[in-house]
Amino acid sequence: MPWSNQNGDGNGGWQGGGGGRGPWGQPPQGGGQQPPDLEELIRKGQERLRSFIPGGGNGGGGTMAGGGNNRGILLILALLVLGFLAYGSVYRVNTNEQGVVLRFGAYVYSTAPGLHFKLPYPIESVLTPAVTEVNQINIGMRSSSRLGERSTGASIAVPEESQMLTGDENIVDINFSVFWKIADASDYLFNVENPEQTVKAVAESVMREVVGQSAFQVLQTTGRLQAQVAVQVRMQEILDSYKAGISVTEVKLAKVDPPAAVIDAFRDVQAARADQERLRNEAESYANTVVPQARGESEKLIQAASAYREQTVAQAQGESQRFLSIYNEYKDAKSVTRERMYLETMERVLGGMNKVLMDQNGNGAIPYLPLNQLAPGSASQNGGQR
Amino acid sequence: MNRTIGLGAAILMLAGVVLAYSTFFTVRMTEQALVLQFGDPRVAITEPGLNWKIPFIQNVIYFDKRILNLDSPAEEIIAGDQKRLVVDAFARYRIVDPLKFYQAVRDIRQAETRLRPVFVSALRNVLGEESLETLVRDDRSGLMIRIKDDFNTATANLGVEIVDVRIRRADLPPQNSQAVFRRMQTEREREAAELRAQGAETAQRIRSRADRDVTVLLAEAQRESDTIRGEGDAKRNGIFADAYGRDPEFFSFYRSMLAYEEGLASDTTTMVISPEGDFFRYFGDRSGRN
Repeated sequence: MPWSNQNGDGNGGWQGGGGGRGPWGQPPQGGGQQPPDLEELIRKGQERLRSFIPGGGNGGGGTMAGGGNNRGILLILALLVLGFLAYGSVYRVNTNEQGVVLRFGAYVYSTAPGLHFKLPYPIESVLTPAVTEVNQINIGMRSSSRLGERSTGASIAVPEESQMLTGDENIVDINFSVFWKIADASDYLFNVENPEQTVKAVAESVMREVVGQSAFQVLQTTGRLQAQVAVQVRMQEILDSYKAGISVTEVKLAKVDPPAAVIDAFRDVQAARADQERLRNEAESYANTVVPQARGESEKLIQAASAYREQTVAQAQGESQRFLSIYNEYKDAKSVTRERMYLETMERVLGGMNKVLMDQNGNGAIPYLPLNQLAPGSASQNGGQR
Repeated sequence: MNRTIGLGAAILMLAGVVLAYSTFFTVRMTEQALVLQFGDPRVAITEPGLNWKIPFIQNVIYFDKRILNLDSPAEEIIAGDQKRLVVDAFARYRIVDPLKFYQAVRDIRQAETRLRPVFVSALRNVLGEESLETLVRDDRSGLMIRIKDDFNTATANLGVEIVDVRIRRADLPPQNSQAVFRRMQTEREREAAELRAQGAETAQRIRSRADRDVTVLLAEAQRESDTIRGEGDAKRNGIFADAYGRDPEFFSFYRSMLAYEEGLASDTTTMVISPEGDFFRYFGDRSGRN
């Protein structure tokens, strides 16, 4: 309880009430001067009482003796009261806090960090909310460190918080964090019951509203940032309409996934996309191998053909040139050259071969030709007779 | 004597304190108060601060002035299009008229038990007229405002004001969620299959185009090659015709000579000949006349 700051107990109030007339509503009094006043007042009161009761005027000696005893007790009491008053009048506001001073429960003013004075209980009390602290609320998961053990950073999923319907009637699993701080300390303290729970409830409701307006695919990719901003803006509007004194500093989407039940199918889509790419690459590498090969092949064919052409032409030119040379020679001495050529050719042809000379005009013997024996290798039988 | 005086003073002081405590009361920032005289409400105090009342005769009851929360339990609601939904909503309300509030419901606990069924019925009434799409996607905020207005008119006599109604969850019941999961799964499977088929299609197209390119390239090369060869052959014929045309008779002699030499020149030929003909003209006759 934030009120616990002033446990200036009943004693202080009690004495203060007894001392000053009109206990509440009196303007601030110097706390330090009260104890002597008090003592005096009590003494005066005693005197007045004594004067009230006529018979009591004489017993001076007795009371003086008793008074010495009483005075000691009174001194201790007064010191105690002083201590309590001092304790109840000074308060500290830490650097991350703001002091909110209440007089009889009504808001009076706010104070900055530092040491401050106030009127003691029950006149004024102070609340010191931490205004600079940024609070975080996680929705969709609970960090397991909440129960004290800090070591495990793992979180437990809360599917009933994290699964929600999208605009195209899919279900998406969302974890997000809301960061907020106190914008106006008095609004924060006095306007809304249980502000933290309010922030959480509003965050959940707004996130579902925003998710319900977007399509699943969009939300997973391009709509993520927009959703964060939309949730932050909408939350701020609602909290402002409550005058909650809260400023939402950031909304962070941690996870936007398909639900666990179908996540494998979604992963398979990714795999299929990779497969598609792979098949195309393989085909392209095939094409990139085969087509240049064919280009080379065709070049080879063409080159071979053109070589053939050159060769043929060259041969023809050579042969015809040879013929023409001989012909030119022949033109001048036709018969001699012809005879010579014939004889030379026959000489060369007949000189190198196996021959069988047979005169058919002489005797009428039937020539027997053992062709197999005649042939040195594979026989060619031709009674060449030109 | 002195002792009794002291005692008397103490009693008097005690009485004063008791009197002060039962006269003055503070109303905190978060509260508003109602002063009752023997149970009969006399005055409502909505501003915080110090107040007084007649001691012992009047007493004070406090009400929260802040915005309060009212949760509805998760309700299964049938939307206008017969779809089932689990709806979990909350309302924010404030006690605006402590007197009415006190007369109607006395305290917050009672108020909640009174408000909750009204809230749920307002929810059911509005959502029952609308489709799931409207609730989830199209006009959630509009519906929330309608629920708030309905709720407000139904609770006007309770001294409360409904500040806001928000639907926290509007989800499908578990069995319908399963159906959605199945649908999502099959959709993804369809997509995956489509992607793979598209991949195969693309691959096939690329391959066959490459094959076509290869065939065409080779055919064109063949064509060109044949053309070139033909050119060569034609030129050859031209050259020969040009050369040999000058004396066809000599050409046939000359070419025969060449052919004999080429065709018969090897050792493997065996020739059976009679010593006649031009070559053997002088074989049996010196003059060579036969």
